[in-house]
Amino acid sequence: MPPSDLPEAATERLGHGAWSSALSVPDFASTLALGLEPVGFVQGYCVMQWSWYQQGTTAPFLGGYGQPVANAGSYSEVYRCPHGMVSAEHRTFGYNWEQDWLETSWAQGWGLAYQRMMEEAEASGAHGVIGVLDAAAPLAGSSTIEYSIRGTAVVVPDSPRPSRIFSTFLSGARLAKLIEAGYTPVSVVAAMSSVQMIGYCITRYQMSGQANMGWLGSVAGVSSIAQVGKAQSAARHLARAKVRAQLGSDSLHGAHLDQSTREFGEGDMAIQCVIKGTRVRRFKDFNPLPHPTTVVPLR
Amino acid sequence: MTDELRQAMAALGAGAPHASSTNPGATSDLSIDEALLLHSIGWEPVDLVFGVGWWSIPWGAFQTWQAGEVTAASDAFGGAMREASEQLRHESARAGGAGVVGVEIDISVHSHHVDVTLTGTAVRRIGEKPSGDEFLSDLSARDFSLLIRAGWMPRGLVAGASFVIAPRRSARQWAAQKGQNVELPNLTEALYLARERAMDSMQQMGLGLHADGVVNVKLREGPLGHNPRIIQFVAVGTAVKLADSGHRSVEPMMVVPLDDPVLAFEAASLRAKPGS
Repeated sequence: MPPSDLPEAATERLGHGAWSSALSVPDFASTLALGLEPVGFVQGYCVMQWSWYQQGTTAPFLGGYGQPVANAGSYSEVYRCPHGMVSAEHRTFGYNWEQDWLETSWAQGWGLAYQRMMEEAEASGAHGVIGVLDAAAPLAGSSTIEYSIRGTAVVVPDSPRPSRIFSTFLSGARLAKLIEAGYTPVSVVAAMSSVQMIGYCITRYQMSGQANMGWLGSVAGVSSIAQVGKAQSAARHLARAKVRAQLGSDSLHGAHLDQSTREFGEGDMAIQCVIKGTRVRRFKDFNPLPHPTTVVPLR
Repeated sequence: MTDELRQAMAALGAGAPHASSTNPGATSDLSIDEALLLHSIGWEPVDLVFGVGWWSIPWGAFQTWQAGEVTAASDAFGGAMREASEQLRHESARAGGAGVVGVEIDISVHSHHVDVTLTGTAVRRIGEKPSGDEFLSDLSARDFSLLIRAGWMPRGLVAGASFVIAPRRSARQWAAQKGQNVELPNLTEALYLARERAMDSMQQMGLGLHADGVVNVKLREGPLGHNPRIIQFVAVGTAVKLADSGHRSVEPMMVVPLDDPVLAFEAASLRAKPGS
């Protein structure tokens, strides 16, 4: 971890006085029963500028002209119109491409906030951070994003501190069950993917219901909108691949997928997908549960 | 518990997982309870998998005065569901799963397209190679484990949808019914027509999978967002089949829970009301 850039006041506050925590009372009780003690409510923040367009490029694809802006090694697909030159407004080409400058920006903002939270935890002498909560939302206008990550720093009394302290979205009873099942939390992981789609003529006709006319080439009537399906799938696959790249030989537990689609024109859309979860490592043989008892509550 | 915690902390320093890990690199959206329940019946999560289907509905399908079923929309729904399910099966097979549980189904119907998105966790029996006949199920891992214990197996996701434009009443009917709280048979009949078509499609899909029945059927019925005269009826469930070993009774135990909510005493009620 790079040298701490914790504010001086925060270092001082964490150094003495009563601890704080974001745990609910049941989670607090379970955490104590597990053998963990809270030492502080740690937080990290980062505010980033957010621009949908990559610097140095122009708004592309007006009237079917322009070049795709996908960077080398990123996902991109080109769709060609089957009609030939019809008019200047006709979408001769369609593009799906990964907006990796947005993904990098998101990873940087989220990563900095996470790193700052972990620095606070390190400064308070913690073994790990549990019950992590994260958020990303505009702070001041639509061109800024505030990344905030918070959690409760905990110590394992009379145990040497691991070389890298752990973090997890779990807390309380769920964390206790995870450890009892033979998994140790390693870190929270998250990744965002962004795919932009500029529909070619066929996609635009399909999205606006005009694909039932005779001269539209290879599609007619009820049909799969292939370009959109590919873009939607690509966003999910990219996010999953980015999360997997952070796992090494460990596993991802409790994955949460958050996908949003912003339509900004007929047949044009930006798709964003965030996957996050807790990276876990098996540390002992699995201890199978006895068959659960089936009950009918008589309420 | 503290010993286990110390072992867990010690493992953080080690780079590789314990030798007993059968599927390192697995991703799943299951809760820890669900993962434990799966393990209790000898199954494990393998990978988070997705399927997407967007299908077009031609202009004029919904934009008509003619009453009756909008078959183009029902066909588009069927196509989108089929495409998304195929992708999910394909992803599960590629990840080495025997099927997918906890499938989250996101359906949205627009004037000119139907979108279906499926997200779930591929699972397999621990130490067994999948047979290649992947199942899909929207049952949670908890319900899946209960189903398996009872001797049943999920076969696949089944769904049916129908969209019916309700006929308008004649001027004479309208005048006769004005101001009266009476049944509107044109709407009731449209709902029944949509219901029959959707339920029949779902049942036919189940029969196509050689299933014995369908469980966990969820219905969505009512007016379609962009046109309240179009009645939609969507039915989705998991087709199941009795395994060769036959049904096993799980014999549930009757319990009286002692955690009923306590009736709260509202201290604010003691305060004098303003003006009294």
